[in-house]
Amino acid sequence: MKNKSLVLSSRMYLFAIPALIIYLTFWIYPTIRLFYYSLTDFNGLSPNYQFVGLDNFRQVTTSPMLTDAIGNTLIFTVLLVIFGNFIGLALALGLNAKIKGMGFYRSAAYLPTLFSAIVIGFMWTYVYMPDRGLIASLMHLVGLDGSNFNILGQSSTALHGLIIVAIWRSIGTTTIIFLAGLQTIDHSLIEAGEIDGCSQWNLIRRIKIPLLRSAITINIILGVIAGLSTFDLPFIMTSGGPGTATHTLMFAIYRLAFNEQRFSLAAAFSVVSFAIIIVITGILVLYMNKREVEM
Amino acid sequence: MKAKNRGKLGIHVGIIIWLIISLAPLLIVFSTSFRTVSNATSPIQIFNEFSLESYKLAFGRMNFTESFFNSLITTGISVAVVVVLASMAAYPIGRMKTKGSKFLHILFISGLVIPAQMVVITVVQTISGLGIPNTRFTPMIMFITCSLPFSVFLYSGFIKSVPFEVEESAYLDGAGIGKRFFQIVFPLLAPATVSVIITQGIWIWNDFFFPLIFVSRRAHHPLPLAMLGFMGDSQNPTQWSVLFAACVLCAIPLVAAFALMQKKFVEGVAAGSVKG
Repeated sequence: MKNKSLVLSSRMYLFAIPALIIYLTFWIYPTIRLFYYSLTDFNGLSPNYQFVGLDNFRQVTTSPMLTDAIGNTLIFTVLLVIFGNFIGLALALGLNAKIKGMGFYRSAAYLPTLFSAIVIGFMWTYVYMPDRGLIASLMHLVGLDGSNFNILGQSSTALHGLIIVAIWRSIGTTTIIFLAGLQTIDHSLIEAGEIDGCSQWNLIRRIKIPLLRSAITINIILGVIAGLSTFDLPFIMTSGGPGTATHTLMFAIYRLAFNEQRFSLAAAFSVVSFAIIIVITGILVLYMNKREVEM
Repeated sequence: MKAKNRGKLGIHVGIIIWLIISLAPLLIVFSTSFRTVSNATSPIQIFNEFSLESYKLAFGRMNFTESFFNSLITTGISVAVVVVLASMAAYPIGRMKTKGSKFLHILFISGLVIPAQMVVITVVQTISGLGIPNTRFTPMIMFITCSLPFSVFLYSGFIKSVPFEVEESAYLDGAGIGKRFFQIVFPLLAPATVSVIITQGIWIWNDFFFPLIFVSRRAHHPLPLAMLGFMGDSQNPTQWSVLFAACVLCAIPLVAAFALMQKKFVEGVAAGSVKG
């Protein structure tokens, strides 16, 4: 091994330069600019702008749109992560049993993850449509009165309607990650449990789930990242409405910047979102890592 | 044994119920797309007509051929560039154990948590500041940039598992650092490359956000953006057959790719999680 330092010369760092240039120019630099603009009154066009200190932040924190967007985003993330993981885990446990047609089931379960958000949005707008949509039609069919049924049109249910779509879309990926985790479990552990007279439920709870720790970690982190950056479903299906019922952080930023041309306010909003996202994912990653080491 | 069989039956029933609920919208969309525009019966009466009229209309309205090739070119080039740049950047990160490589690692994975929509306002400025015009190719800059964090993360995990000895013996045979990476290390990273191509390829193909921001000319629209033209129609039952035909047309390229390479798709999605 005496050659190690020769083999691993620092010229290796040259390999990172092309990616680094792109990443710094189009990701890190714009992020820094965002912090800068949040302290100005820049409107996106006029080059004559001034520093206004923390004015934008004062506006942001007193605007009901921000509190609504934060609340909606958190509800969205929590429900997506909880239900997405439960359904995905149940489906993976089912698919992992050696049953006929498993390959077909798995492919069918994965199908929804292949569609563009636009297609998904159009499809589910039909599913939810009052009176003539899929759910309303089925309600008529079984004799229920579907005329009051309007998930996306009511502030109290619109967000949940979108969350169901997000779960539906993410299940395929969640399931495949759980399945991959289940397939790495040493079969002798399961057999040992069976010989000891473990019930199926105990096999799942005491052996499989603890060994799925890293798959669970990844699915939760992926879910949290997806939930906190939710944009496309409210954009396509509800335009953030009714009112601000389906405004998420990213939707609010988009609206401020591109529909209302309030560039600096959008930047301040971004900085606040950035802080929220960093704090939540930071706590999560630390907590998860600790749990994994303990296991 | 009996209990086990009953258990299996239960699993079948459970999975089938889930699939019916979750695939019902797809089935209805598919069946309605084969209707003529004048068919006003409820879409839940599935497959009550078979005509390609709606497909013809949708095909023309979304400018399918052109949009398809715009998607194909931009996705293909972006993914190829990501594979090359991310694997190269991961090389020092996975191999070196210095402060510099650790810093690079953290710098790249911190990008995983920043949503693209958040920085887009200043990205627009940066790109126009550099004098880059809005064409079908402009979104590629952001496709590549946003794919880097995950891909670098994945590749660096895989590079760690490539035995150092293979490089050492190549070094003793006189192979330079470039040759060692491209001819010895990179081919051993094939599972990671499959994973990057599949996972990043899917999101790039389906993304409408960056094209929405950066592509102005109709002829430059990729498939998902061409779909935006149908935006109002989802509220209008008389337009459903054409709208759903457009949905099927938009989805079919990826579904076909999935049907042909199911194993690669599943491995690709799973590989990212197992190594990560």
